[in-house]
Amino acid sequence: MKLRKGPLSIFQAEEARQRDDDDEEESIIKKESRRRKEGRKEGRIMILAVLFANSVGNVLIERFNGVPAEERLTWRSFLVKLGAENLKGVKNEELLVACHKSVYIVYTMLGDVSIFLVGKDEYDELALAEAIFIITGAVKDICGKPPTERVFLDKYGRICLCLDEIVWNGLLENTDKDRIKRLIRLKPPSEF
Amino acid sequence: MAQPLVKKDDDLDDELEFSPFMGIEKGAVLQEARVFNDPQLDPRRCSQVITKLLYLLNQGESFTKVEATEVFFSVTKLFQSKDTGLRRMVYLIIKELSPGSDEVIIVTSSLMKDMNSKIDMYRANAIRVLCRIIDGTLLTQIERYLKQAIVDKNPVVSSAALVSGLHMLKSNPEIVKRWSNEVQEAVQSRAALVQFHALALLHQIRQNDRLAVSKLVGSLTKGAVRSPLAQCLLIRYTSQIIRDMGNHSQSGERPFYDFLESCLRHKAEMVILEAARAITELDGVSSRELTPAITVLQLFLSSPKPVLRFAAVRTLNKVAMTHPMAVTNCNIDMESLISDQNRSIATLAITTLLKTGNESSVERLMKQITNFMSDIADEFKIVVVEAIRSLCVKFPLKYRSLMNFLSNILREEGGFEYKRAIVDSIVTIIRDIPDAKENGLLHLCEFIEDCEFTYLSTQILHFLGIEGPNTSDPSKYIRYIYNRVHLENATVRAAAVCTLAKFGFMVEALKPRITVLLKRCIYDSDDEVRDRATLFLSILGNDDGLVETDNDSREFLFGSLEAPLVNMETSLKNYEPSEEAFDVESVPKEVKSQPLAEKKAKGKNPTGLGAPPPAPVSGFDAYERLLSSIPEFATFGKLFKSSSPVELTEAETEYSVNVVKHIFESHVVFQYNCTNTVPEQLLERVNVIVDASEAEEFSELSSKPLNSLPYDSPGQAFVAFEKPEGVPAVGKFSNTLTFVVKEVDPNTGEAEEDGVEDEYQLEDLEVVPADYMVNVGVSNFRNAWENMDPENELVDEYGLGPRESLGEAVKAVTDVLGMQSCEGTETVASNARSHTSLLSGLYIGNVKVLVKAQFGMDNRKEIAMKLAVRADDQSVSEAIHAIVSGG
Repeated sequence: MKLRKGPLSIFQAEEARQRDDDDEEESIIKKESRRRKEGRKEGRIMILAVLFANSVGNVLIERFNGVPAEERLTWRSFLVKLGAENLKGVKNEELLVACHKSVYIVYTMLGDVSIFLVGKDEYDELALAEAIFIITGAVKDICGKPPTERVFLDKYGRICLCLDEIVWNGLLENTDKDRIKRLIRLKPPSEF
Repeated sequence: MAQPLVKKDDDLDDELEFSPFMGIEKGAVLQEARVFNDPQLDPRRCSQVITKLLYLLNQGESFTKVEATEVFFSVTKLFQSKDTGLRRMVYLIIKELSPGSDEVIIVTSSLMKDMNSKIDMYRANAIRVLCRIIDGTLLTQIERYLKQAIVDKNPVVSSAALVSGLHMLKSNPEIVKRWSNEVQEAVQSRAALVQFHALALLHQIRQNDRLAVSKLVGSLTKGAVRSPLAQCLLIRYTSQIIRDMGNHSQSGERPFYDFLESCLRHKAEMVILEAARAITELDGVSSRELTPAITVLQLFLSSPKPVLRFAAVRTLNKVAMTHPMAVTNCNIDMESLISDQNRSIATLAITTLLKTGNESSVERLMKQITNFMSDIADEFKIVVVEAIRSLCVKFPLKYRSLMNFLSNILREEGGFEYKRAIVDSIVTIIRDIPDAKENGLLHLCEFIEDCEFTYLSTQILHFLGIEGPNTSDPSKYIRYIYNRVHLENATVRAAAVCTLAKFGFMVEALKPRITVLLKRCIYDSDDEVRDRATLFLSILGNDDGLVETDNDSREFLFGSLEAPLVNMETSLKNYEPSEEAFDVESVPKEVKSQPLAEKKAKGKNPTGLGAPPPAPVSGFDAYERLLSSIPEFATFGKLFKSSSPVELTEAETEYSVNVVKHIFESHVVFQYNCTNTVPEQLLERVNVIVDASEAEEFSELSSKPLNSLPYDSPGQAFVAFEKPEGVPAVGKFSNTLTFVVKEVDPNTGEAEEDGVEDEYQLEDLEVVPADYMVNVGVSNFRNAWENMDPENELVDEYGLGPRESLGEAVKAVTDVLGMQSCEGTETVASNARSHTSLLSGLYIGNVKVLVKAQFGMDNRKEIAMKLAVRADDQSVSEAIHAIVSGG
């Protein structure tokens, strides 16, 4: 299993928090308006990350959009730590929510797999909740039930395809699970 | 060889946690990928290999350029297969491999064929893949098909094209903008998702055209929007329009409010929350507008879904900052959220309650928070501590329970930031509430008995030295302070020695005993501690004539440095040891402002002609050196103040000019910093003609033109004026830049012989009263204030008229006076109705001035100010009042 990423180191999380504190210096209102402006200018208003991890915090699938490569490690560590702290004993598909800097995180547990979504601006906690609901629905559909890690990996290819239909480069594309099920087999949607 | 991917259907194996990707290795998978080249393709096998490649990529494995190219080329062979499952995988893996621009060409023809295929799904996927991998030139080739796809009957194809458009807009905006007719049509689509994507794209395309967005929103708010997602977008765009229109139509009904309000009754929770949030964020929202939104948010507080609770409490928390009264109805629901499993929700609930709570509920609230504090992280605790600090300032009578709470959490474990937040809060409370002083000081004393942070210990010791001697029984603090001398590191010991000396000086009864304690410190192992102890002993003993009067000692112990610490540091570093002692008076007192003049003409490279540009001239020392080096100005005496640069041209003009006003006792010098931003021009004999007809007390003395101003290398021209000595004369000056232009050959960089005379009108320049004030801060305002003669105090009241906020009035007064805000009083709470500003400065003639300005705002936003001025010279106090009544 050497290819898997190890769980986070405490230092990285600490570092992330430290940087977070530094950011606080700027007045919140100023930051808000600047952020809005930047977001609009660059059109970088999207789902920043989708991440699947197993029960011990190893990453199964991760997709980052508009996150610089050097920040990904920090995010990965932060999310896995967040999951380790809060996801114990949580019911299947119960949504948890957190915010960090100006981004929102919605995450949940499905069988042995934890799923995290990170977004900002237009993709706030509500939009992310919508997206994660679609993702969990699709994964359950493929696996037939809340998956163990083994089942998840067995269906890995199809899960990747589903994800490709739902979140495309950070934008929500398809939301209906029956349609997604057909699309990954290249079948046109049934209602059409 | 890796384990072949075996399909296991029986559930028993699920329990065995072994992965189908166990032992997977990049090299082996790349080997396997050769099956793509088989003449007889096995679709299932190929799909499995692609899955493995995907797994590797998702695990963060990276392929070298050669590996990626090889895999990509083999993958393109798979287009021969008609198997739909495999084709779907191929689309995905191409996107994941994201081939280089030189390789893309291999697949574009296959993809373009798919894009025109009869099979809808091929079309949709081909569009998505193409838009991911192609660049602008190819895009123009397929643009026609994309436009067709946007209005395709099949919603999947249409969505694919629209979402691709959203992505392409970033890289090729001018192309995507041409599609707006098709996108407009798609907005009317009956398919919910197509409408959502089309709306997003159309708004992106037209976002800079306010009228178009307004029309779009206007038509959609009337018609049916099919998906909740699109409805949310519409709400956002609507509130943006309301924001933009805000300034124009203040009177009457707010446009679109009815639409937002109707969304509160939508069936989708997402839409309801979005609408509620939009309403709460309206500029100057009235309580009548706010009520329905607060009501729905209150219902969400008890929702079983954490996301909805979070969204509701987050919104209410924001509302509480501006309209605390509107949120009080939710207090009961909010209190039950304190025990919420989700810490983000709990913290938001607590901080909201702290903002909205009334005096009677404070104690109950504190009890609940105590239980809550033990199981949250430091970052949340800091938020709570800060909320408690502002609560205490709001309800001074409740300081006892709040102070107890703070002292309790101070004893518990915690990191530096958290402890600092607590200590800061206690210090603020002590400053603001005199009754809390003794109690608070004792809590701080107990804290330093067991404090691991040197910074906090020294800060507290310093604070004790200022506040402790004025308490009813100063002797009780001595034990804590002297303990530091025994137990701590050198930095803390040195701080403790200073504090002891302050007690000894202020409290006559303690002096002999303090002297004994200080004498013990002169055997300390650290130089600094010993030095300080010796120095203080001689001050207290007053025996060797080191200080002459009590006042000198007081000034030495309690007075603050007149110059900012940064300036002191630079001066000391520049000082070279010599016969002549370092003169503290020579340290500049000006607080350094940001160099404003530097931001222009950056990013343009010098074309290599002429000498390198002279070093930027800014900062008081640099100005002083520069002016004294010019013979015309050398006789003007000591420079009193230099203003920050004032721009006299708009940004992006051919010549950029800003001016710095240098104030002397009986002269004023304008330094015009000029930059030539035209590469093809050389300017010579650059001068500024100043018309001072609106500045009667000034008469022009001399001017110093700039001989040559090549492209992008700034230079300075000067004009000097004489004015009555020591008088803060004001006036308006109009400026014209005159020069000779010579064309420069861009190839050789040589200028032509002949030039043309030309002139360039600059903006007017004013000398204002604030130019005669140096913004020097004092570290302890109250001490400084009390040390000034109350006889010279002048108090008057002013009406400042209606203003948007109190902060605006505070800033205006501070700017008019040109003084330095002290002790953080420049920040005004956003919803404050009253505020006190403490200002300090040095007026021309080196007269120290302190100002206490109390502001109050009534219901009609009318602002009144009570201004108390103390200065060493009564006439200066009068002058300050004159400035305010004139400004």
